This record gives sequence, C-alpha cells and structure tokens, in this order.
Amino acid sequence: MGDLFQETILIGIFAATIRIATPLIFAALGELITEKAGILNLGVEGTMLMAAFAGFAGSFVTGNTLAGLALAMVAGGLMAFLMVFMAATLKVEQVVTGLALNMLAAGMSLYLFKVYFETLSLPTAEVMPYLPIPVLADIPWLGPIFFQQKGLTYLAFLMVPAVWFFLYRTKWGLEIRVLGENPKVIDTKGMSVTLRQYGAVILGGVLIGIGGAFVTIGSVVRFVPDITAGRGWLALVIVIAGNWRPAGVLLAALVFAFLDALQLQIQGIGVDLPYQIFLALPYVIAIVLMVAKSRRGRSEAPARLGIPYFRGER
Amino acid sequence: MGIVIEKRLTPSISWQVASILLALLASFIISALLLKSAGADLGKAGAALWDGAFGGWRATWKTLVKATPLMLTGVAAAVAFRARIWNIGAEGQLYAGAIFAYWVSLMVGSLPALFLVPLLFAAGAVGGSLYGGLAGYLRARFEVSEVLSTVMLNYIVLYFLSFMLTNPWRDPSSFFQQSPKVVDNSLLPNLMPGTKLHMGFLVALAVVVIVHLVMTRSSLGYEIRAVGLNEKAARFKGIDVKWVTMVVMLISGGIAGIAGVTEVFGVQGRLNPGISVGFGFIGIIIAVLALLNPVAIVFVAILIGGSINGGIKLQVATGVPSTLIDAIQAIILLFYLAAAVLARYKFRIVSNG
Repeated sequence: MGDLFQETILIGIFAATIRIATPLIFAALGELITEKAGILNLGVEGTMLMAAFAGFAGSFVTGNTLAGLALAMVAGGLMAFLMVFMAATLKVEQVVTGLALNMLAAGMSLYLFKVYFETLSLPTAEVMPYLPIPVLADIPWLGPIFFQQKGLTYLAFLMVPAVWFFLYRTKWGLEIRVLGENPKVIDTKGMSVTLRQYGAVILGGVLIGIGGAFVTIGSVVRFVPDITAGRGWLALVIVIAGNWRPAGVLLAALVFAFLDALQLQIQGIGVDLPYQIFLALPYVIAIVLMVAKSRRGRSEAPARLGIPYFRGER
Repeated sequence: MGIVIEKRLTPSISWQVASILLALLASFIISALLLKSAGADLGKAGAALWDGAFGGWRATWKTLVKATPLMLTGVAAAVAFRARIWNIGAEGQLYAGAIFAYWVSLMVGSLPALFLVPLLFAAGAVGGSLYGGLAGYLRARFEVSEVLSTVMLNYIVLYFLSFMLTNPWRDPSSFFQQSPKVVDNSLLPNLMPGTKLHMGFLVALAVVVIVHLVMTRSSLGYEIRAVGLNEKAARFKGIDVKWVTMVVMLISGGIAGIAGVTEVFGVQGRLNPGISVGFGFIGIIIAVLALLNPVAIVFVAILIGGSINGGIKLQVATGVPSTLIDAIQAIILLFYLAAAVLARYKFRIVSNG
C-alpha cells in the first residue's frame, strides 16, 4: 500500500479523476438543464449510449473525431427530442418514457453495431488526441493533472461556469428555471411553455450526447455493448447529490470520478481485495449520497420536476 | 362541421386497446424497415420469427418456459406501478431471489424434493423481498427515489453475484463464472414428459391469480390503488403511504425473486450471471402494455416470450441479430405510450348549426 502515496501514482490518480469526470460532468450538466425545465429525463443512460455509438460510427466512417462528435451531439439531441415530445407535447408519464428510451438505445445501438460493424474484423475508430496546453502543462503536479488532457475535458470544466451563467444570468436561463417552478407564469405572459421545454431538453440532450461521445471516441477505439456502463444513471445521482446547482454537480462528479480512479489504481497495484468491491462501490456511494442528501434539509429540486403542465390547471 | 376534443375523466379502455394495436402496426412497419436495412428477406424473416415463437409444440412449450419469468417480473412491475412506485429493480430482485434460494439449496439440499422445492420458492421470494424492501425502506424513511436506488441495487447485486461465482460458489471444473449443477432433488419437476416446461409456469400463474385477487378484493389492494391515483388524497383518507410503499416494494421484489428461482432451478440448473437476459426490464414493458392488469400480463408475457425465441430463430435463419427484438420491444412501448394519449381524449364531430 505504501506505493500508493508515491508522487507519480498520486498524480496518476488525480489525472485519471479529471479524465473520468469528463463524461459525468457533461451528462449531469445536460440533465441539470433538463430538470430545471421541469422534465425528468430518465433516459440519460440511453442517450449517452446512443451518442457513444453515433460518435464511434461517425469517427469510423469519416476518420475524423470531430465528425464523430457532431454525430453524437445530433444523436443526443434526437433522443432528447423523443423525450420532450412525449413529455411536453403528449404529456406521457416521464418515468416510463425515459426507461423506454434506455431500452431503445440498448437494443438499437447493439443492432446497428452488429449489422454494420461487427461483420468487419475488430472495427476500430479514430480517438481524440491529448492536447497539452503550452506552458501550463509543464507546471509540476498541476500540469500533468489538469493540463495534459483532451480537448473535451477542458470544455467540460469550462461548461460548469458557462451553464451556471446561462441558467442564472440570462433571460433564457431564468425562463427555464421558471418552467421547473411555476410554468403558469410563462403561460400567462403569452409565452410558449412547450417551446421552451423543447429548447431546454434538447440542449440538455446535446450535452449528454457529448458525454456519450467521450466514452467512445474520447477514450477507446472500440465499441462494445453497454459501453456507458451506468454512467448515465450516475449522472442522475450527481444532479441530486449536487443539489441541482452547477458547482454541486461538479463536486459530486469529481467525487465519483476520484473513487473510480482510486479503484483502478488499487487494482493495478494488486491489493488483495475482490475487484468486484471496487466496481460496486460507485453504486453503493450513490445510494449513501442520496440518503445523506435527504438529511441535509433544503433541496433545490425544481418544484414541478416530472409533472406535466396542462393549461387551465390550478 | 368541426371536431371537438374533450378530456376524459378516465381513459377509455377500448381506445387503450386500439392504441396497442396501433403501436403494434407502427412497430411492424419499423421492424420491416430495420430488417430491410440489414438486407434480410422479409418473408423469410417473418416465417423464422413465427417458427421460433409458436411454430409447433416444441416452439410453443419453449415460449411458455420463456414467458414464465416474464409473467412474474411483469406482475412485479404492475403491483408497484399501480401505486405509482417506480420499481425498476425487478432485474436485481430476480438475482437476489436466485442467490438466496441457491444458498438455501446448499444448506438443506438433502431434503426430499417435496419439501425442498416449496422451500426454494419461499427463499427466492424472501431474497427478492428483502432486496426490494431495502429500496422501499430508503424511499419511505429517507425519500430516496426508488427509481435511482433500484437501478443502483441492480448493479450492486450483479457484482456481488460475480464475486460469489469467482470465489466461494465457483464451479472449479468450468472456465465460466458459474456454480456447479444444483442437486437433483432441487430441480423443478416437469409438467409434461418430453418437454422442459417446469412447475414454475404453474407457480407463475398462481402468483398472477393471487395478485389479481389481492389487487381487486382486498383492502390492501384498495390502498395500493388509492396511493397510485392520488397520494395526497390517500393520505387524507388515513392511508399510511409510507407503509404502503414498504409493503408494495416487499411484494413486488418477492414476486421478482420467484422468477430467479424458476430460472436457476427450472431452466439453467445452476447459478450464473446469465439467468436473466433483461427479464426485469422486459417485465416493465409487459406491465405497461397489459395496462397493469395481471390477467392481461399472462398473454402479453407469452407473446413477448415468443418474440424472444422467435428472435433467436431469426438470427439463426437469416443472420439478423436477435437484438433487433430488444429494440422493437422498446419501440412498441414508445408507440403505445404515444398512442395511448388518444384514450385520454374524446373526439366528437359536431355541426356548427
């Protein structure tokens, strides 16, 4: 265990934390915007998975990871469109819709992969390169942890203040937050509730899609079934644990990512513990965080989360 | 002339049935497109699907075997959804039931089958019940969303099973993560010679009947439905919503746990991570398509079970991946949810005299 505290290993753990946090931050911020608009999108996992597949497919076909990223964002937006069409226009039960989206993505991504890619022997796609930031990357400790990452990782961390600014300092952000608290206010002003819900959910879906893209073309050359492995569900927990605030989301995402990075390192060193304990740990922590959250009192959860708005209701 | 759209107070049943048919039709069209895109011959694919599902006695009893856990997970979802408690954890509760029952079979495997088999069913129900009840407790005591906790518990139990199967329960003669064969007297008896249709099928039917009676005839069933219709009103009537939440999760988890028993002791003959291929999640689709009605769940489960077996045949016959069926099931559900909106409205043609 003494090895664990060597400098290079510690830097490795922290650098991995930042990398692992990337898709979680994107997905959780996307879900945050969605939930602020009063829509509970339980299809995060499926949205990420579909986007992860689209990113792989786009990068494979064009040989360009940016094209893959663009396709992943479109896939994320389309899945979110399905969600908001069912939730805002048809006012269908949001929980069941989200689950249906997850099942759709699980079946569809695997079907398309098997039909179009698995016939090739071990298809591999182009992966995003590391982009060390000049000068900053050379700072001892901080450089290798923060500034020798991929472009999307820097973007994820920039998105946290950006989403905060969007939600709390712009007119659109204010309108989205009102949707989640009291949509009647928007309606009585003659503004469209539905239109704004579409905007928020699709924007959220695009962010979730970027998170999905990072899981494939941001990290590995291959696509495997269920490659997102529960990250979408963790994003939902992160939004709760982060108390529906961008800074809280960042913190919660880093906690999960750190645990994951730690278990990778401990496994690598060969500590004599069953590896399943480390794999199950994030989900155990998720439950503990949700329990802890309920005791902390004041919740910033949108009052109308998951409840459809009907004009004329009281 | 004009069409007036009015909201109905209660959804019309005939429209709900019509929307299922509409959803099926739309899904057939999408399936056809997906099959075409994979370069399959539609006639051949359709024939293979039917052949694998209901083509002959052998295919039919295999479908009934497949439908057995699906009936159970479908009813498990229906009981919870009726109270608007979103138990997504039937998959994990199925495994918890299987693990607990397997453990019991190791403890008392020398008992004669007459005592052992009922004990295993009880053990499965207890295992699933405890696991579901944990999520119920977290919801009732700490207001932890049961949707998220059950999903997390699904992952946790799979890693626990993986641990047990790599260490204490591992079959040393096998390369795969699986237990040795269970003892002979723990295997579920066959209902008919020459088939593998096991006793679990009858147990599942019995569970369906009991749940149906409880939901329609008992005060508990009344309370469950009252909580689902309007939680606030139910509380006002003096119903202890937290207690109902706990009980619903115990029942729902227990039913899913029984499905674990049918798969370990009726189908696989050993404990392995593949005893369920998403039965817990497919149960959700079945429950919703059956309008949460236990009796309808039997028929929907048989149809879906048939489609799963048909999909396997499809893959063998045409090379189209059987995962198509998973996608199609979700598409049917989405179309149904969309089409069912029609059932909430009344359309009247009026003349503007």
